[in-house]
Amino acid sequence: MPNPFQPLQSALRTLVENAQVLPATGQAVVDMVTPDLEEIYDQRTTGEATVQTVWETDARLLYRSIQPIPRSEEHGFRYFIDGSARTYFIGTVLEQDRSTPVQVSQVGAAMVKREDDGRIRVTSNRRTILLTLEKSQVSDPLWQDLEQALTGVPGYTLCDSATNNRYADAMDLQESRPRGAHRANWHMRELEIELAQSLPRANDEWLVVDGSLGNEFETWRGAPLVGVAKIFRRDSRFEFGTGPRARKINLFGLLKDLQENQRTIVFPRNNEGRIVFWYVRIRPQKGLDYPLMGVIKVEMPNPDREPVDSQLVDRISGWLIAERRVTPYGRDGRWHAHLYPIYIAEQVIRSQFYSEEVLKLGIRWPFQIST
Amino acid sequence: MTKQTSQPIGRGSATERDPNTAEKFKFWIRPGQMVNPFDIVAAEHFPAEGGSEASYTFGLVTNIQHITDAAGHLANFISNDFGEEVDEAPQTPRQGANVAEAAVLSNSADIYMPVQNESRVYFADEDKIHLSLGIDGIPQERRVPAGLIQMSNGTQAVAYLDRHFVLGPEAGHVNISGISGLATKTSYAMFLIQSLLQTGPKHEIAVILLNVKYDDLLRIHEARELSEEERKQWKQLDLKPDPWPSDRVHYLLPWGKNTQVTGRPNSFADPPPPYKAYAYALRETASKLDLLFSDIPDPGGTLSSVIGEIMTGIGGNETAWRAVQTWDDLLTKPPLVQQGIPQKFHNIHPSSVGRFLRLLRRVVKTRQSGVFVPQLSTRMTTIEREIGNIQGGHTYVVDIARLSPEEQTLVFGDVLRTVYGLYSGEALPFDDYEPPSKVIIFVDELNKYAPARGHGEPSPILEQVLDIAERGRSFGMILFSAQQFLSAVHERVTGNSATRVLGRTDSAEINAGNYRFLDQDIRNHLTRLDKGELILSHPIYRQPVKIRFPRPPFQQGRVQK
Repeated sequence: MPNPFQPLQSALRTLVENAQVLPATGQAVVDMVTPDLEEIYDQRTTGEATVQTVWETDARLLYRSIQPIPRSEEHGFRYFIDGSARTYFIGTVLEQDRSTPVQVSQVGAAMVKREDDGRIRVTSNRRTILLTLEKSQVSDPLWQDLEQALTGVPGYTLCDSATNNRYADAMDLQESRPRGAHRANWHMRELEIELAQSLPRANDEWLVVDGSLGNEFETWRGAPLVGVAKIFRRDSRFEFGTGPRARKINLFGLLKDLQENQRTIVFPRNNEGRIVFWYVRIRPQKGLDYPLMGVIKVEMPNPDREPVDSQLVDRISGWLIAERRVTPYGRDGRWHAHLYPIYIAEQVIRSQFYSEEVLKLGIRWPFQIST
Repeated sequence: MTKQTSQPIGRGSATERDPNTAEKFKFWIRPGQMVNPFDIVAAEHFPAEGGSEASYTFGLVTNIQHITDAAGHLANFISNDFGEEVDEAPQTPRQGANVAEAAVLSNSADIYMPVQNESRVYFADEDKIHLSLGIDGIPQERRVPAGLIQMSNGTQAVAYLDRHFVLGPEAGHVNISGISGLATKTSYAMFLIQSLLQTGPKHEIAVILLNVKYDDLLRIHEARELSEEERKQWKQLDLKPDPWPSDRVHYLLPWGKNTQVTGRPNSFADPPPPYKAYAYALRETASKLDLLFSDIPDPGGTLSSVIGEIMTGIGGNETAWRAVQTWDDLLTKPPLVQQGIPQKFHNIHPSSVGRFLRLLRRVVKTRQSGVFVPQLSTRMTTIEREIGNIQGGHTYVVDIARLSPEEQTLVFGDVLRTVYGLYSGEALPFDDYEPPSKVIIFVDELNKYAPARGHGEPSPILEQVLDIAERGRSFGMILFSAQQFLSAVHERVTGNSATRVLGRTDSAEINAGNYRFLDQDIRNHLTRLDKGELILSHPIYRQPVKIRFPRPPFQQGRVQK
């Protein structure tokens, strides 16, 4: 098998020839993103923590009991999207008194479709290898040479860690290496959105996107979709009514009384309602360690800002509860809130990534050995 | 190499922890595709040096696993609502695959690099099955049909043996194991013998069959009605479903206690087939006397000393023995007995003589079936006389089913010794008799005569069987043997059998060391074989194969009287 990272060699040679390179000790090193990235991003991008109103047509109950709806009864969710990113630090480039880390990321997103008999097949996927540097820390000619080296190389993209990096920006990350890792994750999110937009779907073919819906979905008018977050902001507060009957509860208070096969009432994000959300308990508390386990946060675009149909939310919640069978228990720490088809989409991507061994051996700085 | 035209059934799969090797490879199976152990598959591989077309690596499927992404059984339990849901199908069936493991048989271009990940895998067609097993290298005139290989996709191929590896000179002997009650071992031995007779020179081979159970082999000249399916199988094998020609089968049945009066031999066959009755009188038996005591422990060698004296004395017609003409004479008259008292003879103590006489009396008088007679009459013959005149193209059935164990040993030993003598003895200058170039001797329950080490004393019959197993092939003497348990037979006999056939076997038995030549997965499969299914191991084949064979075209008595 030829070296899959061979196309990168020309760019690496450009760096070696035009700047000083300090290679990573022991070859490539994995750079991780912040562990609670999703929660922080949810916190920083979804506006006000305090929710003061509800957003559905039948708002009489805070908790509504839901019957699971298996696909044999109504097959609502057909498509599922997930992505994955893995970043490796391979060295530091020095030019004059400036320096920038050099990182290589494998980034991908996959959409799978579930057929009526339950079988899953891959409908489309995207995969890119990013070469990430901080553009401001290298000279323009060197950046142009790098661009030149990767021009026309399919599957490879030169990336600036400073720009278009909303995860890092949301977290106020300043250091270059963490920014590079988060830049790859943001790219993954872009690929997911691109996939969600690219495939034409019928109006009864719902799509589930992994994680919280970004603000870019506030104006979504395409085929129906929901975002399902396993991990979500915990600082949410709910304040309903005024006067002596007013009720104020925090997220923990809200979810501790949410029973198996129940959903909460629907809330508007940022009290505007362009995106609405609610919580569904898909697994009983008795089998879990903590009240927030087994609960998913469901987000749905609502560009018209009308109160959403309670029966539709009940159906969506019923489909979601049915998704608890089967679970990636033992494979993923978030199994209690993980939807299995999303897990499969993630596996589709990861199975296409080159292993760490291949990457370490495949990416070599082309130093000249002096004689 | 012809290009594969059928649909692939899967693709090669090699992982970090489970790599493919030069010996084995794995492949995942397309959903809905049925594959079973013993199917032969062809995996696309590198082209031969300088070529452009893919070569094929052939593999014998030894096991199939179903794997899923469940980390443990608990994951499946939790996935069904913590065990509450037992009826409804899951919303998304768990991701799983069937992965087959195949033992490498060969490669069409002699490339033994491991099968590569993602290589397309197909069912082998008939030509490729032959190529994979090495059958293509057997010259046409040496091919002996030994059964049908049937694959899960319906493909069938004839499993051919190489005649030179069954009858010599390259290798020889056939051993068949399997639990009884499935009528498989004897039927298969008979099928294979018929196949050898039909595909080779007609007059080259003589066959001696020992009938050990009921009248199983006493009606082989009588045709049996075959079903259409059975006829089809015989046709596929390109063999004629005919019984043994009656003019070429000779039945030798034992003389019984009442034969003189009733005219009926001591046999389960009712009515008996055309036969000759054999018997043992002292004078004709003296040279085989040692065979009568095969099962008797003789650590000091005293018994064999007495036997040796008698064999020499009677055989040499020494003066002291001239008056001893019958078994009664031997038991009651000098030189061994005088006035009812055992005598010292040469250096042998009277007590040893007494022990010999007690044992002999039990065999030839007390427990005898009638085969021991005072004198041979004109209606009687001997095994030595009949077997000493065997002709190529003829079959001799020696019935020992109703004999006592000691008598059975004597007859079997007599057959072996006579045949051995035919080939190793010195020919008389005026005798123009030519023994057939090959003699096949078939015996069931071989463990009686050649028990495994530790299961019996070294004995004259064991020596005789070992002689045939180890040196018989060079003379043209081929042993077709059968037994329930391979582990119960002497390893020098089974080890010398180039072709080994295994029927359904007990699960405790398959863990014995004798089965080590089989892969563990194939061994386990032995417990699940159906009637008519066998595992065939042959020196030409790179791995044992599973075969089916047609039921015999002759009557199999099997009537318990």
